[in-house]
Amino acid sequence: MPRIRFFNFVVLVVFVVLFLGLANLSIIHGYKYSELSRKNCIRLIPQPGRRGRILDRHGDVIVDNMISYNLMVLPSEFSNPDQILSRLSRITGKDSAALKRSYRQNFISLSIPVVVSENIEIKKAIALEEMKPELGGFTIEPQPLRHYPEGELGAHVLGYLGEIDRWRLTKLADYGYNTKDIVGFGGVEEQYDYYLRQEDGGVSVEVDRKGKFVRMIGFRPAQSGRDIQLALDLKIQRIAESKLGDRRGAVIVMDPSSGEVMAMVSKPSFNPAVFVEKNAAAVQELFNDPKAPLFNRAISGAYPAGSLFKLIVASGALETKKINLSTAFTCDGGLTIGRRRFACWNTHGTQNIIGAIARSCNVFFFKTGILLGPQLIHDYAVKFGLSKPTGIDLSAETGGFMPDPLWDKVYKRKTWYDGDTANFSIGQGEVLVTPVQMACVMAVFANRGTLVWPHVIKDIQGRDVSAGFRKASSVPIQKSTIETVRKGLRNVVADPEGTSYLLASLPVEVAGKTGTAQVTGKLPHGWFIGFFPFEKPKYVLCVFLEHGGSGYAASVVAKEVIADMCSGGVL
Amino acid sequence: MRDAGVRITVIALILCVLGIMSIYSNTHQKDDRYWQLTYQRQIFWVILGLVIFSIASHFNYRNLWDFSYFLYAFALFLLFLVFVLGVVRLGAQRWLKVAWFNFQPSELVKLMFVIFYARYFSAKSVHDVSLRVGKFGAFRAILLPLLFLSVPLYLIIEQPDLGSAVMIMMIFVVMLFLGHVKLRYLLAFIGLILVFLPLGWHFLRDYQKDRLIVFLNPNIDPLGAGYTIIQSKIAIGSGGFLGKGWLSGTQSQLYFLPESHTDFIFATFIEEWGLLGGGALLGLYYLLIRQGILIAAKTYDHFGRLLALGISAMLSLQVFINVAMNLGLAPVVGIPLPLMSYGGSSLFSTLLSLGILVNINKTRAVF
Repeated sequence: MPRIRFFNFVVLVVFVVLFLGLANLSIIHGYKYSELSRKNCIRLIPQPGRRGRILDRHGDVIVDNMISYNLMVLPSEFSNPDQILSRLSRITGKDSAALKRSYRQNFISLSIPVVVSENIEIKKAIALEEMKPELGGFTIEPQPLRHYPEGELGAHVLGYLGEIDRWRLTKLADYGYNTKDIVGFGGVEEQYDYYLRQEDGGVSVEVDRKGKFVRMIGFRPAQSGRDIQLALDLKIQRIAESKLGDRRGAVIVMDPSSGEVMAMVSKPSFNPAVFVEKNAAAVQELFNDPKAPLFNRAISGAYPAGSLFKLIVASGALETKKINLSTAFTCDGGLTIGRRRFACWNTHGTQNIIGAIARSCNVFFFKTGILLGPQLIHDYAVKFGLSKPTGIDLSAETGGFMPDPLWDKVYKRKTWYDGDTANFSIGQGEVLVTPVQMACVMAVFANRGTLVWPHVIKDIQGRDVSAGFRKASSVPIQKSTIETVRKGLRNVVADPEGTSYLLASLPVEVAGKTGTAQVTGKLPHGWFIGFFPFEKPKYVLCVFLEHGGSGYAASVVAKEVIADMCSGGVL
Repeated sequence: MRDAGVRITVIALILCVLGIMSIYSNTHQKDDRYWQLTYQRQIFWVILGLVIFSIASHFNYRNLWDFSYFLYAFALFLLFLVFVLGVVRLGAQRWLKVAWFNFQPSELVKLMFVIFYARYFSAKSVHDVSLRVGKFGAFRAILLPLLFLSVPLYLIIEQPDLGSAVMIMMIFVVMLFLGHVKLRYLLAFIGLILVFLPLGWHFLRDYQKDRLIVFLNPNIDPLGAGYTIIQSKIAIGSGGFLGKGWLSGTQSQLYFLPESHTDFIFATFIEEWGLLGGGALLGLYYLLIRQGILIAAKTYDHFGRLLALGISAMLSLQVFINVAMNLGLAPVVGIPLPLMSYGGSSLFSTLLSLGILVNINKTRAVF
C-alpha cells in the first residue's frame, strides 16, 4: 500500500509540473510566442508606390519614374538554388557568381522571394517571363525607378536619391521613415522629400509552411508621391548650363520681384542617375573627386565678393550722406594708406559715384569706405542680407562671412586699421559671399528696394504654396539712393568706359556689375551680377567663375546667356 | 457516476471526442480529400475501439493470468513479423499491414508486457499462499524478467522505435517498484542503468542523436531537427490563456507544425483552447489515471491490483512523455497521446487497457 500511495503522489506531482510548464509557455512567454506565430504565417507583399515627379515652371518633366524589372527567386521552390541561378545567369547575361552572392546577401527566409538582380533590361525580362512555365521558381517584379530624361541638367537643384543614412534616420524616424528607405540627398529631393515621398502599399496574406498563399488578410494601396513644380525654366536652365560649359562656377537666373529661381547651375556637375543605377565605382568617384562635383557652388560656396561689394559701400555712403552725387574723388592709380599703397586697376582721374561704379574704381571706394567706416559698411552689408543664409529652399546653404570691426575688437583683440577698411570696401579680405546672396543684392536694385526670398518651389501637386513663403523685406534705403546706384549699374554696360561695355550690343538694356576677387596664389574669381531689361527688370543674372580670371570673363558668359535668352524668346 | 467503471467510460469518451475535434480542426481545410476525411476514420476507430472496450470489460481478467505466456509469445511473434515483413513508413518499420489498416504492434506489446509482469510478480508460493516476490533474489526479481524483456526490446529498438523501447523499459521499472521487488535490488538496477546510459549514445542512430542534441538546444537547427520543437512551443505559447478558438489555430492548420494530428495533437489542442483547455485536459487525464489507482487500491487480488497499477502506469507514462515532448521538456520520440492522437493502434490498445481496468473493477468483488 505505501508504494501505491507513493506512485499516486508521483503521478500527481508530474501532472502539476506539466501544468506549470504549460502555463510557463502560454502565459509567461505567451506574447513572444504569439508574435512568432503571427510572423510564421503572415507575409507582406509590398507594392511600391511612385515617387513624385519634378516639373519645371511650364509643367515640363525634369525628373520622373520609369518601370524597372527586378528578378526574384523563390527559395521555397529549391533545396539548392545554384542550378536555377546559373540558368538565370545564362539568360540575363549576368555573372553567375554575382547572382549567387546577391542571393546569399538578400536571403531572409524560405517564404520570401529574394531579389537576385535589379533593373534588368526589358527584353531580358520578357525573355525570362517566357521561360517561366518551363523553369519556374522565379518572378519578375516591376518597380518604379527614378528616371532623369535631362541627364545632368539641374542636378544640384534636384539632388539625388539614396538609402537613408543613420543621421537622417534619427531625425526623421518620427515622420514614418524607416531603415532602407530611399530618400533625397541635396536639392529639391531632400528639401521636399516629405511631399515627393511615396507610401508603399502592400497586401498582407496568410501563407502556409511552404509559403503558399492561403488567403488575403489586408490590403493597402500604394500612394504615389506628390508632383512638385519648380520655378525653374528648363529653357533658361539649358542655356545657362551650356554657356557655363566646362568652366567651374555657378550661374543663377532669378525673378527680381518674386525671388523665383529660374535657373541655377553649378559646375562641375554630376548625373544623378549614377545613384539610381547603384554604380558603386562611379558614386565613389563622385565623392572622391577633388573638384567636388556634388558641391552646389551657387548656394554652398562662399567666395570673396570683390568689386561687387562696392555696391554696398556706395549705398551706405549715399544713405548716410557721407557722399552725394557731386562728391568726386581723383584716382591716380592708387592710394597710400599708412605706409602701404593700395593700387587701383587703372588710372581713372576725377569721377563721381556713378562713374566710379561704372569703371569700378578702387581709389574712389577706398576713400568712400574710409569715410563711411568699417562698422557701417558691415551694418549695410547685413541690411542687404549678407553674412547669413538667404533661406533658399535647398539644403546645405551657407551664410558666408562679413567681418565686423566691433566683434574683432572684442573677441579677437585685433585693432582695425584704415588699410583693413580699404580692403573691406572693395570686397577683399575676410568678406565671403555666395552667388545666391549676390543675386539677391542685385535684385534689391532691380526691384527698387526689396530683399526677396529666393526659392525654387512653385507649387506642390497643383496646389499653390505661396502662403508658406517667407515674406520679402524692404531694405531701409531711400529710393534716391537706389536710383543713383542703378544709374551707375546701367553705366557699367552703357558707358564705353564701363567694365561690361561688351553687353551694350545686346538687344536688351542690361545693368550690372563685374567683380574680380583676388585669391592668393591662384587665378582670381570672376563675378558678374546684373539685371535686365533695365526699366522693368524681369531677370537677375549672377555669373560666378571659380578661378575664372576676371570679371570680364564672367561678363562674356553673361553676354552669351543673355543673347541666347533674347534669341530663344524667353524675354 | 459513483462507479469507477462509469467514470472511466465517460472520461475516455470525452477525450476521444476532443481528439476527433482537434483532428477535424487541423485537417478539414487541407487540399486532399483523403486528408479532409481523417476525422471520419478516427470516428470509425473510436467506434471500433469502444466495441473492443466493451468486450474487454465483460471478459474476466483472471483469464489473462492463464494466457500470459501465450500473450508473450504472441507479442514476440508480432515483433518478428514487423522485423521481417515491416513496411517502410516514415523511415521506420513499425507497421504491420493488416488488410486495409496499418497496425503498429509495439502499442499492443506494451499492454502485453504489463499483463505478463503482473502475472510474474503476483505468483504465489504453493506452501503458504504468500507472494513469492518477497523471497526473490536478484536473479529471479530482476535478471530473469529482464531476460524475458531483452529479445522483444531488441526487436523494437531495431525497428527503430526508441520511444516505445524507452517506454517499455520505464513500464518495467515501475512494475518492479509496484510489484514489491526489494528496494535495494531496484535501486541497484536503476543505478546500473544510469551508469550504462552514456554508452547507449553510440548505439543511437544519427537522427536519434540529432533529436537529443536538439532537445537540449532547439535553436541549433531551427529548420531541421529543431523545427518541430520550436513550432510546437510556438503553437502552445501562442494559444495564451483562452486559445485561438476551435478551427482557428494557425500553427497546425497552415502546416507549420508537423504531425499536428498525431504526436503533436496536444500542441494543436492548446493552440485552440489555451491554458484553460489545457488545464482541463490534464485534469481529465489525471482523473482517468486516478480511477486506475483507486481500483488497484480496492482490489485484493494481487494479479488484478498489479494489472490495474500497470495499466495506470502505462497510461500516465504515455501522457507524461507526450505532453513533455510537446512542451519541449522531453526529446521528440514517437509516443502518441492516448485516446486523442490519430491512429487506430494506439486507440485500440488504450481502450483495451481501459476495458480490462473496468473489468477488474467489476469482478474484484468475487475475491
